[in-house]
Amino acid sequence: MIPLAHYLILSGILFSIGLAGVLIRKNIIVVFMCLEMMLTASNVALVAFSRAQGTAGVPVYDAQVLSLFITGIAAAEVAIGLALIVAMFRARRTVESSALNSLKD
Amino acid sequence: MNIVSTYTWCQFTPAFALVGLAALLILADALLPRLPKRIYAFVGAMGTFVAAYFLATGEQTDIFGFIAAIATGLSILLAFDYTKISCESIAGSGNEEGTGEFYALPLVACAGILCLTQARDLVMLFVSLEVITLTSYVLAGYFRRNQGSIEAGIKYLVLGAMSTGVLVYGTAWYFGMVGSFNLGSDVVVSAMKGGVAGSPVLAFGFMMATALLFAGSFFKIGAAPMHVWIPDVYQGAPTPTTAFLAVASKTAGFVVLCSLALPFAPFVVPGSVVGKLLVWCFALVAAATLLIGNLGAMRQTNMKRLLGYSSIGQAGFILVFFLTLNGPVVFMVSKYLLAYALATIAAFFAVAMVRTQRGSEEIAAFRGLGKTNPRTAFLITVCFASLAGVPLTLGFLVKMYSFVAIITAMESWCCICWLLPIMVITAATGFYYYFKVIRAMYWEKAAPGAQPLQVPLCTGIVLTICVLALIYLGTMPLLLQA
Repeated sequence: MIPLAHYLILSGILFSIGLAGVLIRKNIIVVFMCLEMMLTASNVALVAFSRAQGTAGVPVYDAQVLSLFITGIAAAEVAIGLALIVAMFRARRTVESSALNSLKD
Repeated sequence: MNIVSTYTWCQFTPAFALVGLAALLILADALLPRLPKRIYAFVGAMGTFVAAYFLATGEQTDIFGFIAAIATGLSILLAFDYTKISCESIAGSGNEEGTGEFYALPLVACAGILCLTQARDLVMLFVSLEVITLTSYVLAGYFRRNQGSIEAGIKYLVLGAMSTGVLVYGTAWYFGMVGSFNLGSDVVVSAMKGGVAGSPVLAFGFMMATALLFAGSFFKIGAAPMHVWIPDVYQGAPTPTTAFLAVASKTAGFVVLCSLALPFAPFVVPGSVVGKLLVWCFALVAAATLLIGNLGAMRQTNMKRLLGYSSIGQAGFILVFFLTLNGPVVFMVSKYLLAYALATIAAFFAVAMVRTQRGSEEIAAFRGLGKTNPRTAFLITVCFASLAGVPLTLGFLVKMYSFVAIITAMESWCCICWLLPIMVITAATGFYYYFKVIRAMYWEKAAPGAQPLQVPLCTGIVLTICVLALIYLGTMPLLLQA
């Protein structure tokens, strides 16, 4: 049996990689993958906690239901995001975040 | 297994009705291509007003839902007056192809806000918040032939999704520490003591979860340091969408913040360490938000960007109410939001009108309005005066409540008295940048050959009603006590 802490460490690592990627990477598609990774980190934590909070081997299903919702919302987010990226590529012929410079102080 | 629901179906009737209406409009858009799209805007706006009426007169008055529904309806009406620009920026030519969803999607977002106001647990909170944000991403990037709109859409999407990630991670840890998604004082108090076992690790994990949740909700209201998206997105997004984001979406953010912060009310008593920490956090965020919003607005020349910074600054004044968590926070916040909503929506109507007819969103485009359109200029003046907080307008009254809140809070926490001078200074800078617009209208000469503006029907009606409400409620403050 793997202890809860290992799952939480994994989810923490996933979350940190995702957050760092969003802040550091310049390619918007990679930034997107990192955003999905942040959501996945929450899914891992939720499923692990659902098992840990359960009694007598029966997990608390609330958390697993939320993780399903998160998966669905992540899919919707990707659909919108890719549409916007395609629109951006058509307009500017690039998907680098440094090209997003028309709005500034 | 027994499934107990804490919700009833009839709580969500207005939300279901709005989603149904939106689905009908999208179907009509697909099946009846000849129908003028302005009809959708009209039907959608009427739908939200009817929903708002039921929210205001229903069994439990849902004041946040009411403000959000009215604001959504008004931003759809703004889209009604904005069709010329919409058609140019979506289809590329003058035709209306593909503009139907632009009027239907705000209804979905509004339904999300109505669900949000009913949420009593984090799952509901998260899912309805995502309904709002996902719709807003589409709306912000809707003008696909406009570079600024696409850029705003992508920036909003990346930063918004990041805040979602943070919020969800906080939710996961909240569940892990508490064992349920319920938001309630009893849950919070027991978790801060370390649960049944009294373990400090659990209390620490719970604090981390709460910090992540607060960070996620600060993003929505545009509180520093999660405000960076606001100026860019507000400037780039289509003006009706900006109006929606500035008012309805901000209301949603404060609903989230209220439902997260209110369970902590038992801690906000003198002598409590947790209470002190919480008050310090809110005071620091409020101070940073006030300074960034108001000082940033001073050097803006673009109206939408100015209103973006102004919305950050106003959020700072609202955050001050959270220092008195034991007081009537919800009531005060909704009152402030009402004043802010009336003035801001009217200001966006003015911006859209000037943009349609003079082709620019700069403050300079407002030059000489006092000469060419004296009545409209007066209405716009009242809106900006209310945002600045000139007496006899509602804006003055709510800003005064904000000052009363900080003085009340100082009685029990004298360590945050440094916030009061910051509030005074930022309120004063507000006069500088809001009056820049008024000065442009009255003291600067119009560009040579500037024609008087033709005031479109909806713009005229909405501006008049908003201004009348601002003055009426501002001169008769007791009306809002009920």
